[in-house]
Amino acid sequence: MSSELATIDGVDPAVVDMMDAVFADYRGTHPPAEGRIGRDPALWQALDELGLVRLTGSESAGGSGAGWREAAGLLSAAVRHGVRTPLAEHDLLACWLLDAISVPCDEAVRTVAVLDARGAARGVPWAGDAERVVLVWPSAGQYRVVDAEPGSLRITPGTNIIGEPRDDVLANIDTLAGVPVPVERVAQLQRKSALVRAIQLCAAMDRILALSIEHTTSRIQFGRPLSKFQTVQNLVSDIAAEAALARSATEAALAAAVTADWSGANLDFLIAVARSCAGHAASVVVRNGHQVHGAMGTTREHRLHEFTRPALAWRGEFGTVAHWDDVVTDAALRVGAVGLWNLITD
Amino acid sequence: MMLPRLVPPATADPASTDALRAEVRDFLAEQLTAGAFTPSVDAWLSGWDETFTLALADRGWLGMTVPKSYGGHGRSFLERFVVTEELLAAGAPVAAHWIADRQIVPALLKNGTAQQKSQFLPRIVTGECYFGIGMSEPDSGSDLASVRTRAVPVDCGWSLTGTKVWTSGAHHAHAFILLARTAPVDPAHRHAGLSQFIVDLRAPGVEIRPIMSMNGAHHFNEVILDDVFVPDAMVFGQIGAGWQQVTSELAFERSGPERFLSTFTLLAATAEQMASQDLFRSNDLGRLVARIAGLHQMSMAVASALERDEPADVPAAVVKVLGTTTEGDIADFADLHAGDTGADPGYVELVHAAVDQRPGFTLRGGTNEVLRGVIARGLGMR
Repeated sequence: MSSELATIDGVDPAVVDMMDAVFADYRGTHPPAEGRIGRDPALWQALDELGLVRLTGSESAGGSGAGWREAAGLLSAAVRHGVRTPLAEHDLLACWLLDAISVPCDEAVRTVAVLDARGAARGVPWAGDAERVVLVWPSAGQYRVVDAEPGSLRITPGTNIIGEPRDDVLANIDTLAGVPVPVERVAQLQRKSALVRAIQLCAAMDRILALSIEHTTSRIQFGRPLSKFQTVQNLVSDIAAEAALARSATEAALAAAVTADWSGANLDFLIAVARSCAGHAASVVVRNGHQVHGAMGTTREHRLHEFTRPALAWRGEFGTVAHWDDVVTDAALRVGAVGLWNLITD
Repeated sequence: MMLPRLVPPATADPASTDALRAEVRDFLAEQLTAGAFTPSVDAWLSGWDETFTLALADRGWLGMTVPKSYGGHGRSFLERFVVTEELLAAGAPVAAHWIADRQIVPALLKNGTAQQKSQFLPRIVTGECYFGIGMSEPDSGSDLASVRTRAVPVDCGWSLTGTKVWTSGAHHAHAFILLARTAPVDPAHRHAGLSQFIVDLRAPGVEIRPIMSMNGAHHFNEVILDDVFVPDAMVFGQIGAGWQQVTSELAFERSGPERFLSTFTLLAATAEQMASQDLFRSNDLGRLVARIAGLHQMSMAVASALERDEPADVPAAVVKVLGTTTEGDIADFADLHAGDTGADPGYVELVHAAVDQRPGFTLRGGTNEVLRGVIARGLGMR
């Protein structure tokens, strides 16, 4: 095995250690609570003091000037420790969008809601916990964007399976002016949103693998560790292989996105590939992870669910697995036999 | 808390090989127009076409990594990877030179003597020397350390006696690299006492018997050796180091694009059939295309690791387990859809070839069960 750590490649290990330490410390004193997860202002402040909240913002605008690789490292560290907070929604999506259209971005915690033509959006991450909600809605063949006060919106609380806020948002778009933005900018937002969940999913699956190895090598049954049974080895090997495929596809999409500033010709295909691979990988990883942990892995007390349940939640957000299969199928049918290989390699 | 990476990150810029890919695509388009080959399934095992091999040699696409001093092209392993990926995706007949080019070249470069390199490399580069593999035996399939073919020292060389099996193309090839026991089994060190030899398949005492596949095709052979003399000059690598040599060869054998592209022509043809609505649309097509795309990226990353001379046996096992399962799933996917729908006869022929070849995908080069054990060892479970 190569010695690189299991992060998106190219992040300084000392930075990764720092990120790990923050989340490990927080998780140590904050076990998962029942019901809806709230955004913890104290954690947010601690992350802010370390420059991790506006990680990818330009330094002139009060950000840390880091890139997507560091951001992926940060998201992965949060996932590894089972800590939920809207870092991605705030930094990589909402604040990026405001920056891109030259709307000033203050200290407020933000998320993005992409509304339909009636001004409605379902399952907006963290909307009820945000201090501002960046609204995006279709208008006259392009889009408009506004940085809205939550008080001006009707927000109906909801959660995903692990209790992360996924709220319905209704805005009276007729009364909002907003800044016009081209369709391509919103397409970039959607690409970024999709890859955020792929990165989180990969981190969750890596952790399921680590827990499965740890458990099967320490749990003794029939007089030997579970890991000495070939059938158990096979289950864990398949977890490892699927998680590795998801990671390869996700890293390839991220590398292409960063190189082409989120607008490359083949980027939509690569992102759909990553989400399809990662989404299907989760089927095997979650099933086998639970299988090797036995009944104790199904309890609240055991930490396994902090990674298996989010994996299932996240693979269906910003596009279901079936949706991404559909996107890849459409692309394949469009190019036919002669173009299929170019589609994969270009 | 964090595990080391199982599969290395991709390091090569995909755009760096675009020009080479375009060159191979132009060549393949010319060959197709000229009717030089019909795209087929599993063509790296079943497409023996020496004329096509010579055409590739002409373009400098055989023995690409062989240094110029041995008549080669001094290209990188990644460039070779790109060329082979393009040829396999097109279903081109590459079986004649496949083993020599994939496995024997890196093995000779690593372990061959100057004489062996001079004797074989230039002829592999020009497409005039074909090799086979002599690892498996009737009683040694997945358990390679149990081989019983014996090599005993004789005057100026060795005498080999035993039976090798599943040797693809032995009936056409010039030579094979054979794994034999040179010292009795030591139960405490099963992997010791094994050695490799380069054996002339036309030498006295070598008998080649065909093994017919279930669809009537002839790719595999049994090779029986009865007191075959191999001169000292054809001892390959170190006597007693056979196991280490074989396992390092396996990383090349297991991670390549042939481990996920054996049915790519069928996948492409199925996309075509669904696009023209001759078959019902299914989004499983997208799922499979996505997996092939992911495997392409993963296999490229392993190729870069091999280029850097990093140990890659575990990531190679990952590529092979996932890739061979997926190429088999493609055969099954097509078969689920084609049936007696009256689909195009050329398409149905591809489906039939794929379902017949499929069982072999997850067997050859180490069964997936053995490879899962390799992965488990890499994970520290055994």
